Parts: sequence; C-alpha cells; structure tokens
Amino acid sequence: MKFEVQLQGTAGKKQRLVELERVGEGYKVRLDGKLVNADAMQIAPNTISILLEGQSFEIYVSPAPDGTLKLQSGPHEFIAEVVDPRAWRGRRHGAVEAEGRQPVNAPMPGKVIRLLVKAGDDVEAGQGLVVVEAMKMQNEIRSPKKGKVERLLAKEGQTVNAGEILGWVE
Amino acid sequence: MFKKVLIANRGEIAVRILRACREMNIKTVSVFSEVDRTSLHVRLADEAYLIGPAPSRESYLCIDKLMDVAKRTGCDALHPGYGFLAENPALPRACVDSGITFIGPPAEAMEAMGSKTAGKQLARRADVPTVPGTSDPIENPEEARSLASSMGYPVLLKAIAGGGGKGMRVVATETEFAAAWRDAASEALNAFGDARVFVEKYLISPRHVEIQIFSDAHGRVVSLGERECSVQRRHQKVVEEAPSPVVTPDLRRKMGDAAVRIARAGGYVNAGTVEFLVDASLNYYFLEVNTRLQVEHPVTEQVTGLDLVKLQIAIAAGHRLPFAWETITPRGHAMEVRLYAEDPDNNFFPSPGKIIARNAPTGPGIRLDEGVYEGWTVPMEYDPLLSKLIAWGNSREETIARLRRALDEYTITGIRSNVGLFRRILTEPEFLRGEIHTKWLDELLARPRPMDSQLREGTEDAAMIAAAVWQASQTGHTADSAAASEQKTSSWKLAGRREQLDHMP
Repeated sequence: MKFEVQLQGTAGKKQRLVELERVGEGYKVRLDGKLVNADAMQIAPNTISILLEGQSFEIYVSPAPDGTLKLQSGPHEFIAEVVDPRAWRGRRHGAVEAEGRQPVNAPMPGKVIRLLVKAGDDVEAGQGLVVVEAMKMQNEIRSPKKGKVERLLAKEGQTVNAGEILGWVE
Repeated sequence: MFKKVLIANRGEIAVRILRACREMNIKTVSVFSEVDRTSLHVRLADEAYLIGPAPSRESYLCIDKLMDVAKRTGCDALHPGYGFLAENPALPRACVDSGITFIGPPAEAMEAMGSKTAGKQLARRADVPTVPGTSDPIENPEEARSLASSMGYPVLLKAIAGGGGKGMRVVATETEFAAAWRDAASEALNAFGDARVFVEKYLISPRHVEIQIFSDAHGRVVSLGERECSVQRRHQKVVEEAPSPVVTPDLRRKMGDAAVRIARAGGYVNAGTVEFLVDASLNYYFLEVNTRLQVEHPVTEQVTGLDLVKLQIAIAAGHRLPFAWETITPRGHAMEVRLYAEDPDNNFFPSPGKIIARNAPTGPGIRLDEGVYEGWTVPMEYDPLLSKLIAWGNSREETIARLRRALDEYTITGIRSNVGLFRRILTEPEFLRGEIHTKWLDELLARPRPMDSQLREGTEDAAMIAAAVWQASQTGHTADSAAASEQKTSSWKLAGRREQLDHMP
C-alpha cells in the first residue's frame, strides 16, 4: 500500500511517500522508497504506536470533517492529508474558493441567539455576523471576507451543528 | 446516617458526590436532562430519573422537579454540588418544607453571607479587613486626599458613573493626588456628566487566597487552611494550589481566624469558603463568601487527608467536628488544573463534541476527578469542564513535576481541550517561583507565545507513518489487498483445475 502524506505542523509543511507492507500484526515501512527501521501498530482505535529506530511515539488520530487527519503526539499537533495514489479522484484541490462567494460556518454546535446583520448588508472581513451560544458562552461568528451578505440561513433560536452553513458572503 | 441522597447536579461533581455516598453505604439518586442520558453520573447512580429538556432552566434548575424525584424515591437528603442551585436559598427552603435534609448551609446563612454587599457588612462586623475605600462619593478633594493618605498609596480614583476605564486614575504618590483628582473628575464630567469620584485602595497585583472552613451544627467552626487561586483567565480560576507559596504559618492562622469569625457571625453550618485578596505586603482583604463546596476542594483534601464531601454529609447528619481539627496544618503540596473542552488556539471557543480517544494519566500522586469517558459526546448546553487533574507531592517542585508528567500522559481527541495552556503555565519561570497574581495569566496570554517545545527527531516521520497506517485501517485496504491476492492465486488454481477437468476423460 502506498500513500502520499502531506504533513502540516508548526515546523512547516512536509511531504513523503509512505509504503506499508503488512507483517503479522504490524507493518514494514518505506519512506520515499527507503526501508526504515520502523514498527507500526494500531494499539486501539485511532491510537497508533510507532517504534522508529527504537524511539517510541504514540500518535492519536482524529479525522476532521474536511477529510484531513488531526494527529496528536504529546504536546505536538499536526494536520495530515493522506492521498492514496490509486485513488486520485479523492484528492482535494486546495483553496480554489479563496475569493468570491464564501460560506459562513458554525465552528461548533450551538444555538443561534442573535443575528447581527441581514441579507444585503455590506460587511468587513472579521465583522460579527451571528451570535452562537454554546456551553454558556456567546460567540460571534465573523465574516470570512469583506463583501455583501448574500443570504443568511441561520434563524434566531435555531440549533446548529459544527460546520453547518449559517450564511453566505459574496 | 442518611439512607438515600438525591444529587441535584451533573458532570464531575455529581460523580464525586456519588463516590462519597457509595463509600458511606448511602444509596444515590441522579437526575438528568434529555442530553445527559449517557452521562457518567447516570451510569454510576443507583437510580436515575429524567427531569426535563437540555436547557438547565427546564431541568437542573427546577426545584419542584427535584423535590418531586426526591420524595418519590424516598430520599432523606439532597446534595446540590456547586453551580446550578447550590447557592440559591430557595433550595434549602424547599428541602425543609419537604422534610429532606439539605447538605449545605441553612437558607438564612446563605442570604447573610452570599451576596458581596451582605458579606462585606458581615466582615466589618466580624472585624475582618475589607478593601479600604468609600462607596459614597467624596465632594471635597482635601477630605479625599487625607483619606487616601490614611489608607496608604497607591489609591484608585473611580468615577461614580464610571465604566470602561474612563474617569479612573491610579495615584501612586501623594504629590500626584491633586492633578489626578482634577483629571478623573473632569473626565468623568465629560464622559458621564457626573464629576463625582470615590477613593479606593489600589491593590498592586493582588493574589486570590481563600480559606476552607467547616462548621458543625453544634457551634464548632474550623479552618482547613488556604488555597491559592491566583491563576485566573478572565476571573475564572484555572490553577489552584495548597498551600499558597506566600502564606506563612502566622498569616494562615490570622486568615483562618478571620474566616472563622465571619462564619460564626453569619451562623454558618457545613462547608464554606471565605475568599480574600492578598497584596504584595501580605495584607489580606475580605472579598466574598462561597456558601458551598468549591470546584477546587480536592487540593485541600490532598494536603489535609480529609474527604470534604463525606464530611459535608456527616455534618448534615448532625455529626460533630473533632476538636483536634482546630489546629490542622497542611502536609505536602497539592495543585489542580481545570481541563475544559475549549480551544486555546481559537480564543478559548467552547469545543463540545464526541470524545474519540482518551488517555487518562495515573501513577504516584495523581488524581483525576471527572465526568467524561471515551465515546461520550460532550453536550453543548453546560459548563465545558471535563476533568480536574490534581497532583500532590512533598514539595511544590515535586507536585509541579508530577502535574507536568501527568499532562504529558493526558490525551483527548475528537474535541479540543486547554491542556496545552497548562503545559505552558507549568514551565513559566514566574509561575515556578510562585510570583503570580489575579491578572498574571491574562498578561501572559497577551504576550507572544513562545515556540512549541522542541520536536523530537523522527516525530514528523512517525506522524506520517501513523497517518498512513490509520488510512490503511480505514479504507478497507487490508481487505482489498487480501481479496486481490486471494483472487490472484485462486484464478491460477481455477485455470489449472479447469485445465485438468478438460483433460479428464
């Protein structure tokens, strides 16, 4: 099995080709074609123990809704994107939508308690659009860009899920 | 002793109370809202009853529903925990009316001590210092100046109508007084149309130090020593420890005596906390009384060896406090951090959601009080406190080392937590020296964040391998390749067999 892995951490971006070959309960590992002395075991769902040249690492994996993986190793966190070269269709093509129409997402589940703007309003980047209450805290959801509020889907009193689109700014 | 206790709370404190009851052979009844069916306090209770929808106003705050469950199930006592109704005098009153013992102070003591103004009056009567100053405006600048020198500089001039820092001046010395008075008054007049100003003692970098008190129903009141809770984010305590790094045995005795006097003056019974501000010269000033068990009670438990929840239950049942506790002194050191479901990288936004994986620290000197488990979805409706991680040791240094070690072992995924914040706090030189005050953390967080601790060589490679292994386990890759190879061999076999069949006569 071959995977192209892109890793984003505080030290920057890295990319490697990771090849896995099943050996018993674990895997034999090649990095960019080179065999490394690594022993990888999934010890619990979403918890992977890696012995790399004798160094012991424990990595916790949590999949994000956008298809990336969040990796935690002690105090360190990374975002990984894994591409299976045999399934290029699954590949996402970065931030094509950086300009133009932008969705306003709820960053967490909660209840919409106030709308600060209405459709047609001009807004600045970072301006508060909607107030969502979660866990006794009120949070302003801000505009992703300068522009005009095209639509507001959120209604006062409505319960929203994480990632749910509250409106659009164009 | 009680036969059955209703726990009018949820989360870690409900679990904490359940455990105390179980150790005392008391049956427990939990209540829960619609989103708490799978919560730990429901799973661990002897009995549990639904009391309404998610909003606490319609469930955990409904006194009539709690009373109904308590009476229906034959409870003879009720523990309120902290938060929700714990400081609402209507709850002890309702308990009295229903013939149920309230595990906490009587309603009258709650009223006499609970509010800031009532508490302040009580403190003055009990001869306990409060932050010096006037709550009435002073008209005459000369009178104000003499008052300022009597309370000692620095002082704070505050506009009666003030707000947002306008009409407010810190005066460091007497020579600055006249000018500052003019400025504050004119600024207040311009901003609020009211030039009246009052004077208050300005405490430089005060510490938050609180005294845990216990009173029985027979007139004995004891102090169980102090907790320092100066590390706060926007007035919310996040790290608590006992003993305080600055409190001397002499100061401990004085503050303990002051707290006991206040408790006596208010006719207090059961567990309570008297909060003080302590300035750089170790003068202490009464702040307020919390008429309930505190979130941070475990640090006192670890340095006194007492179980405060069991003690609350025993006192409510009429037991006496032992005489010997009047001279109790802390042993060793304990420290607690509050782990919240919030994202420190995103302005501490709450982060409810499903806990995908979790690794809880164990080992010497570590205690974890919590109401969560792997696979549980943290509801969005309540306080985001997940767990309280408590460490103790012989010294403050050993305790901090243990806490750091435990934080390294602590992992929670699926939701964000503020564990990284504590990794940072526990390495800050000022914190290690105990040089903390109530604004310290807010100031620290305003400073640029230092680079993450050094990445161990190989971490990134290990992370990339882990990502690939995880992906392989998810996409049915193993199944795919196994099926593919099986099919490969079997097609040869099939062909061979077919050939042989063909050759059959």
